[in-house]
Amino acid sequence: MPSLSFLLAPEPPSRRVGLAVAVAAVALSTLIIYPLGHIAPIASLGVVYIPAVLIVSVIWGGGLGFLTAVLSAATFNFFHLPPTGHFTIHDSRNWVALITFLVVAALASWLAEVVRARTRDAQERRREADLAAEMARVLLRGNSLDEALRTAAARLAQTLELSSARIEMDARDGDERTVAFPLREGSGRIGTLLVGADASEANLRRLQERVVPALEALLSAALERERLLGGTVETAALRRADVVKTALLRAISHDLRSPLTAISAAGDALGSPALTDEERKEMTGVIQHETLRLSRLVDNLLDLSRLEAGAAEPRREWVSIDELIHAAVVEVGPGGEDFSLSIDPDLPLVRLDAVQMERALVNVLENARRHSGGHPVSVRARAVRSLAPAGRAATPSPADGEADADASEPGAVSRPRGDRIIIRIVDRGPGIPPAQLERVFEPFYRAGTPGGEHRGSGLGLAIARGFTESNGGTLHVESLPGQGATFVFELPIADQAQEADGVRDGDGAAERTAAGAGAARSEPGG
Amino acid sequence: MSTVGARKQEAGPRPRVLVVDDEPQIVRALKVVLREAGFDASAAETAAEALDAAAVRPPEAAIVDLVLPDGDGIELTRRLREWSEMPILVLSAVGEESQKVRALEAGADDYVTKPFGTRELIARLHAALRRAGRPEEEPTITAEGLEIDLAARVVRVDGEPVHLTPIEFELLRALARNRGRLMTHRKLLVDVWGPEYVEDIQPLRTHIARLRAKIEPGGEAGSSEHRYILTEPGVGYRFVD
Repeated sequence: MPSLSFLLAPEPPSRRVGLAVAVAAVALSTLIIYPLGHIAPIASLGVVYIPAVLIVSVIWGGGLGFLTAVLSAATFNFFHLPPTGHFTIHDSRNWVALITFLVVAALASWLAEVVRARTRDAQERRREADLAAEMARVLLRGNSLDEALRTAAARLAQTLELSSARIEMDARDGDERTVAFPLREGSGRIGTLLVGADASEANLRRLQERVVPALEALLSAALERERLLGGTVETAALRRADVVKTALLRAISHDLRSPLTAISAAGDALGSPALTDEERKEMTGVIQHETLRLSRLVDNLLDLSRLEAGAAEPRREWVSIDELIHAAVVEVGPGGEDFSLSIDPDLPLVRLDAVQMERALVNVLENARRHSGGHPVSVRARAVRSLAPAGRAATPSPADGEADADASEPGAVSRPRGDRIIIRIVDRGPGIPPAQLERVFEPFYRAGTPGGEHRGSGLGLAIARGFTESNGGTLHVESLPGQGATFVFELPIADQAQEADGVRDGDGAAERTAAGAGAARSEPGG
Repeated sequence: MSTVGARKQEAGPRPRVLVVDDEPQIVRALKVVLREAGFDASAAETAAEALDAAAVRPPEAAIVDLVLPDGDGIELTRRLREWSEMPILVLSAVGEESQKVRALEAGADDYVTKPFGTRELIARLHAALRRAGRPEEEPTITAEGLEIDLAARVVRVDGEPVHLTPIEFELLRALARNRGRLMTHRKLLVDVWGPEYVEDIQPLRTHIARLRAKIEPGGEAGSSEHRYILTEPGVGYRFVD
């Protein structure tokens, strides 16, 4: 009878209502007996009180049930058993009625209590099942296990009405404020559940008997899942590394074999006695040129592997951009094309690894010259101010004592400086299609231009970007196809960039051309 | 380099060789090496340049790099083959067998892997030119102790007739008529069995093994040194005389 289920609600209604209902039920029963007295022997009508006892016992439990039983017996005695109007306690009928009522009350309230306990238990278990399901969802779905554990613990505390709950992934002991439940997987300890020490005995038992085993299973599954996820990520990374390695090997195989072929062929040719002096010189040149190319390739590969291993830690020192660019131009060497330099004479010094940044510049300059088709490559450097307020430049940097000392000199801070130095290297080559603007910085990417005298290794730009970024700068390329390409370095200027005597005005602003000897080209035969 | 020098003494006009490679240093060295070997070498950097040069003044042979700035050597080989029978040697630095096979199927005669000894390159070039100069129909092919009478379908080893199955004879004929030339598995399968058998490399291996057992000197199975039929692993077979 579902409509009566409220009778067995886990928590009984208030006792005051119960008392009122008991009195009313007993009074009603007493009244009903009057008319019934005409059709049945009065002594048998004691049963009329039983529903009252039953109802009160079932709903309000044994205590009130017994009271109703006693009250019913007394009322029956007083109003109906002759002599009415008196308590005749020696009458045996009275005892029979009282004992019957008491037995009914006891049985009914006990049965009701059993059912009620079962209901409570069922509801408790349903809550625990809900909790376990929710914790499973939290623990087995989220990406961060730490966060998932916090959420799961909060949910646990809420459901069990605990003052606090925490799940830790290591072994802990409880203290005066917390009780610790070890969480195990097999014989190993995988974590600890800590709850507030004010939890009730029943709650602690529930935790130990039912929550902890579920939590152990869940935590162990969550840990396993995290391991697997980590494995998947690692596998994907390894696979990517594998693809890169294959491309690398293929490219290296080509890049190593071409110079080796040229050296070997030139060596064979030199072995022939019938060579003219000029041919002999040419073959020697081939060997020298290709040996240099091989050694540069090896350097590049070393740089690249250092960058990829994260081992290219810059050794920063105060560097003059002007000197850096000139050194790079000298390093690129004579090659038949010109560089025209235009460097702002007032550039501040920057803290950089000079060797790495020179390398980056050399690689970009070489690339620009290679693609410029004989036109001069323009190199411009200037400082730009960012939109951020210049005021923060006054904040002393505690990390650098040298800078502090210089900043105290008058004028060091008062002259505003740009926040970045921008170096633009502009060639007049074929340019780069928009889709390839980023790809040119990938290792072994080569633009589809005819090879020839200065075919690159495909590594230079990747290394240039790597070194620039490890020095806190950026390198990108802008290009309109058909109108050349502009490689742009942006190097941050430290807040305390002081200027020392490193910037020499006359040297920097002057346009300078470094003209090299024209390289011999192979003549078309036929 | 006595062999290289000796070639110069050969009579007649120097055969012209077109070298197609975008590595200028290689071209420079090869030109000297080829000249020393008695050839007249010219160079092209790109496939387009090579097609122009070959059309204007057809060379006797071409040496083509597989990697070219404006395409690959395979495509260039195909284009040259459309109108010319000149021997084409492919230079491969890739080391990938599939590339070599594709080049050979596009019509290349042979390949040399970079870095190569120039001696080998010159030898292959001479072999290819000799082959190109041979008449179409030869009644008999002789190589040391091996004699193949194509008309009578008789094969003799050291004068003794050897019994070959029809398939074995066809295989030997295909290889011997292209002696010196690298024959891909595919080409042999198509020549001997027909186009529908191009994928059946395993039976080809079996027949080659049986053929070798019958004609190779001391050609018991398991012998690693072969005199007539050489294996190019992953690519095909070559008959040497």
